[in-house]
Amino acid sequence: MTASRTVNRGVKIVGLLALIALALAFPSLAPDPFILSVGVVIMSYAVLATSWNFVGGFTGYISLGHAAYSGLGGYATALLILDAGLNPWVAMLLGAVGVALLAVPIGIASLRVRGASFVIVSIALVLIMLLAFQSWGSVTGGSNGLRVPRPFGPEVLRPEQHERFFYLHLALLAIALFTWWAIDRSRFGIGLKAIREDEDKAEALGVPTFSYKLAVFVVSAFFTALGGGLYALWFGFLDPIFQFSILVGSYMVLMSLLGGIRSLFGPLLGAVIVGYALEFFKAQYGDTQFHLVALGLLLALVVLFMPDGIIPAVGQLVARFRPQAASIREQTQAELAAQRRGEASEPDRDDAMAVSGEEARR
Amino acid sequence: MSGSLILQSVVLGVLLGGLYALLAAGLTLYFGVMRVVMIAHSAFLILAAYLAWYFTSQTGLDPLFSLIITVPLFFVAGVVMQRLLISRLRPATLTMMSVLLTFSIALVIEGMLGFIFSGTQRRIQLPYSGTSFEVFGANIAVVKLIAFVLAAASLLALYLIMKRTRFGQALRATIQHPEAARLVGVNTDRVAGYGFGLGLATAAVGGTALALDSTIYPSLHWHWIGPLMAIIVVGGLGSIPGAAIAAMVLGIGQALLQLPLGTTWAQTIFYVALFATLMLRPQGFFGGRLAQRF
Amino acid sequence: MIGHERREGRGHRVGGAWKRGSSAVVAGVAALTLAGCLSSGSAGGGGGDSDEDGPITIGISLPLTGDFSEPGKGVQRGYEAWAAYVNENGGLLGREVELKILDDQSNADRVASDYEKLINQDGVDLVFGPFSTRLVVPAAQVAQDYGFLFVEPAGAAEEIFTQGFDNLFYAAPAVAQDHYDYLADYIEQMPEAERPKTAAYAAMDDPFAQGTAYGLKDRLEEMGVETVVDEVYPPNTTDFSSIANKIADSDADILVGGTQYQDAVNLIVAVRQLGYQPRMAAFSTAPTNPEFPEAIGAQTEGIISPTGYTPEASWETNAEFVEFYTEMHGTPPNEDEANAWTTGQVVAAAVEAVECADASPECQQSLIDWLRENEVQTVVGPLSWDEAGRPQGAHLIQQYVDGEIKIVLPEEAAEADFIAEKPAW
Repeated sequence: MTASRTVNRGVKIVGLLALIALALAFPSLAPDPFILSVGVVIMSYAVLATSWNFVGGFTGYISLGHAAYSGLGGYATALLILDAGLNPWVAMLLGAVGVALLAVPIGIASLRVRGASFVIVSIALVLIMLLAFQSWGSVTGGSNGLRVPRPFGPEVLRPEQHERFFYLHLALLAIALFTWWAIDRSRFGIGLKAIREDEDKAEALGVPTFSYKLAVFVVSAFFTALGGGLYALWFGFLDPIFQFSILVGSYMVLMSLLGGIRSLFGPLLGAVIVGYALEFFKAQYGDTQFHLVALGLLLALVVLFMPDGIIPAVGQLVARFRPQAASIREQTQAELAAQRRGEASEPDRDDAMAVSGEEARR
Repeated sequence: MSGSLILQSVVLGVLLGGLYALLAAGLTLYFGVMRVVMIAHSAFLILAAYLAWYFTSQTGLDPLFSLIITVPLFFVAGVVMQRLLISRLRPATLTMMSVLLTFSIALVIEGMLGFIFSGTQRRIQLPYSGTSFEVFGANIAVVKLIAFVLAAASLLALYLIMKRTRFGQALRATIQHPEAARLVGVNTDRVAGYGFGLGLATAAVGGTALALDSTIYPSLHWHWIGPLMAIIVVGGLGSIPGAAIAAMVLGIGQALLQLPLGTTWAQTIFYVALFATLMLRPQGFFGGRLAQRF
Repeated sequence: MIGHERREGRGHRVGGAWKRGSSAVVAGVAALTLAGCLSSGSAGGGGGDSDEDGPITIGISLPLTGDFSEPGKGVQRGYEAWAAYVNENGGLLGREVELKILDDQSNADRVASDYEKLINQDGVDLVFGPFSTRLVVPAAQVAQDYGFLFVEPAGAAEEIFTQGFDNLFYAAPAVAQDHYDYLADYIEQMPEAERPKTAAYAAMDDPFAQGTAYGLKDRLEEMGVETVVDEVYPPNTTDFSSIANKIADSDADILVGGTQYQDAVNLIVAVRQLGYQPRMAAFSTAPTNPEFPEAIGAQTEGIISPTGYTPEASWETNAEFVEFYTEMHGTPPNEDEANAWTTGQVVAAAVEAVECADASPECQQSLIDWLRENEVQTVVGPLSWDEAGRPQGAHLIQQYVDGEIKIVLPEEAAEADFIAEKPAW
C-alpha cells in the first residue's frame, strides 16, 4: 500500500510537471496569434472558474453572478488607471482589494441564510451592476464603453502582447490554484467542506459556519476581480453589457461543475473543454442561436447525470479497476458512509447520497 | 411635479404591480412546494408571450384566446418538468442544483426562441392598443386594464384553489411540513407536481397579459427574473400573499420613483429592497418558518 | 472532441494515476489537442501572402445572431451584393473578390477574436467593419494593431472618433450628431413666434441613438427652445408608460426620440395612450423601417426621421446599385444595405487608386493615406473624411406625407412639402 502511494505521488508530480511544461510551451506551439489569443481567453476562463470554485467548491453555494466581481475588477482597474493615474498593475491589485471589501457586506446579506437567498442575490448583483454601470455614464463611460490603456508601450506588438498576457494569466492561475490547494489542506478548508456536506451538522460540531462562508466568499471575489482586471488590461475595452452578463457567470459555473468542483484542477479542465467547445460550436453553428441551446443542454446534462464532474467520474471508473484500498483524499460524506457500510461491493453512490440527504433533512 | 402626474404614476404602478403579483405568486409557489428557485419562470413567461403573438399573427384572433391553449399546456409542462427533471435531483443539493437545472432550461428556451423566431423584437398589433379612457384625470389604457384584470382574476383563482379545495389543503400542507403531510396520507409527490403545474400556468397567463402591451424578444426574461426574485425574497420565500403584497408595493414604488430618478435608477428599488430585507429581516416580511432557513 | 480528450486521458491513467495527477494529464492533452484542432482549419491561409492572381479575400465579422442580428443581416446582404456586383464587372484590380464573413453573436469579445482570426489565420487581404457602434471600437483596435485599413458601415457615435484611431473611416454621410441638421436649420429659419417653445427628448442609452437626439437638442437649446423632458432609457426597456407620463404631463411642442426601432413604436403607443399630441415628432431610424407604418397604423402622418440613404437618390452609382440589389433580393435596399455597399465602394476606390490589395503594412498604409486625401463617389453621395474619420456630410430629413415616407428637407432634394404642424395621432 505505501509503495503504491509513492507511485501515485510520483505519477502525480510527473503529471503536474508535464502540465506546467505544456502550459509554458503553449505560446511557442501556437501556430498563429489567433490561436494564442484563444489561449489567453481560455486561461482567463480558467482563472475565473478557479476563483469561482473557492466558494462553489468548498461550500457548495452556487453563485450565478460572479461576473459582477470580474466586471467590477475590470472597471476598477480601468478607472484607477484613468482617473487616479495609477500604475496598471497597482491599479489591478487595488481594484481587487476594493472589490473584496465590497464583497463583505454583500456576503453578510446573502450568507446569513441558506442557499436560495445566496443564489438570488448573486443574480440580482449582476443585474444591478449592469444597471448602475450602464446609467452612471459620467464615471463609467456608460454604454459608450471604456477603453483601458495598455500596460505595455506601442513597441510591444499585438502577438507579443498575447504572449505576455498568456503568461500573466498563467501566473495568476498558479497563485489561485496554490491558494485553493492550501485552503483545501487547512483546518479552515475542512470546516468549509463540512458546510458543503451538511451545514446543520457542521454548525452543531462548532464550525463557525457564517464567518467561514464569508471569508471564503471574499477570497473568491478577490481572485475573480483580479481575473477580471487582468482580462480588461489585455482586451482593452469594457462595455457593461458584456462585463455584467449572466452568461459569463454561468460559464464559470458550467466549467467548474463539468470539471468537478471538489477537485483542484476541475475548473481548469472545465475551462479548457468549455473554452474549446465554445470555439467549436461557433464554428459549427455560428449563424444560429444554437450556442445558447447547446450551453443550456450541456449544463442540464451535467447537473442531471454528472453533478460531481468529469474528474471524479473518471476517477470512479479507474477505481473499479483498482484494489479497494486506494487512498481517497477527497471523499463525500456519502462515499465515507458507503465505505463503512459495504466492504466488498461498491454501492450505488446516488442511493447513498439520497439516504444521507434524507438524514440531513430530518 | 403636478398632482395629476403622481396620480397617473400610481395608476400605472398598480396596473404593473398586478402583473408582478401574479408572476411572483407562481415563483414563490415552486419554492414553497419544492424548495426550488425556478429561474426559468420568466423564460416560460416570454415563451407564453411568443405563443400568444404567434397565435395572433397566424389566426388573426385576439391574443386572449391563446390562453385556451397555453394554460393547460403549461400546466402539463410544469407537472412533467417536476416529475421528470426536478425530482431526479438529490434532496441534499436540491436547492442549488435546481437553480442550475432551471437556469439551463431558461437558456434552452431563450436559444430556441431566437432560433425559431429570430432575435427581432415582436409586438402584437391590436386595433385598441392606443385606446384609453380617463378616470379622475388619469388615463387608463385599455390593454393595460385587460392585463391587470387577467392577473387579478388568476390571482383570485389561485387563492380560491389554495383555500377552498382539498388539493389546496394538501398543497398548503406540503408547503408547511412535507413529512407531516405524508404521514397524514397526502401524496406529496403528486401534489408537488400539480403545484409546479399551477406555478407554470401563472406564467402562461402572465405571458399573454405581457404580450398585449409590450414588445417581446428572446432575452427579455432576464429583465423580469431579477425583480421577481427580489419580490419573493422581500415577501418571504414560499409565502404567496407576501409575494403579492410585496409585488404591489414595489410596483407602485417603481412607478413613483421613475418620476424623480428616471427609468433606469427606478429599477434599482427591487434590489435595494432585496438587500435591505436580507440585512434587516432575512426571512422576508411575510415569510414563516420556512423562509428562515433559506 | 470532448470524448476524444477523455479517451486519451484514460489511456494515461492505466499507469496508475489518481485524481489530481490524472486531471493534470487530461488538461494537458486537452490543451495540446486544442492547439492542433483550432489551427486545422487554416490550410491555405497564413499572414500577408500576396497571391497576385488569386482572389482578394475580405474579412468581415457581423452580428448574425443576438441583439444586433437584424441590422447585421442587412449589412451582410449589402456586402454580398457588392461582392457579386464587383465580380460580375471584372473584379477588383482584375482579381475576384471573396468575402469571409464570421458571426460575432453581437458580442464584443467575439468581434475582436473574429478579426484576430481573419487577419492571422485566414490571411485576408482587407477587412470591412462590423455593425453597431458597440462592436466597432474593439474591432477597430485589432485592425489598428495589425495596421489594417478599417472602413466601417455603422459606427456613427462621436465616441468612436475620439479614440485616436488613425485607420478608421465611417462610410456614411454624417456622424450621429449631425443627423438632424437640416431639421434644425429649418426650425431656425421659422419666424420666432411659430417655432416650438418646448421640447421633450427620450433617447435609448446607446451611443448612436442618443447621439442623434442630443445633436438636435444642442441645436434647439441654442435657439432657445426649452427642454422640458430629457429621459434616457436602457436598451432593453419595454415599458414606456412612465416616460410617456412625463412627456404627456409636460405637453412639449416637439417630441424627439433617439430611437432604434421597437422602442419608437412602444413610445408612440404609450404617449398615445395618455392622449399627448405634439406639434412635431421626430424619431431616428425607426420610421424608415418598412414595418413601421404597419406597426403604428394610420397614425404615422407627419412623423419625421433623418436618413442617410434613399433608393431614389440621384447619385451617379445609385441607380445601378438599386437595380442590381432589387434584382438579387426582390426588394430595394435599405440604409444598412446601402452603408455596406458604400463601404465596399470606398475601399474599392482606394484599392484601384493605389493599385494594391494585400495585408502588408505598406499597402494598408497607402490605402489609409489615399482615403485621407481624396473624395469618393458613393451611393450615399460624395464622401470625404476629417483626420479622425468623420464623414463631412448631413442626413436628409424624411417625413410621412399622405401615408408614405418622403424626403422633405433640404428643399433642393425634397419630394414633398414639409408638414410643420403634425396632425393628431
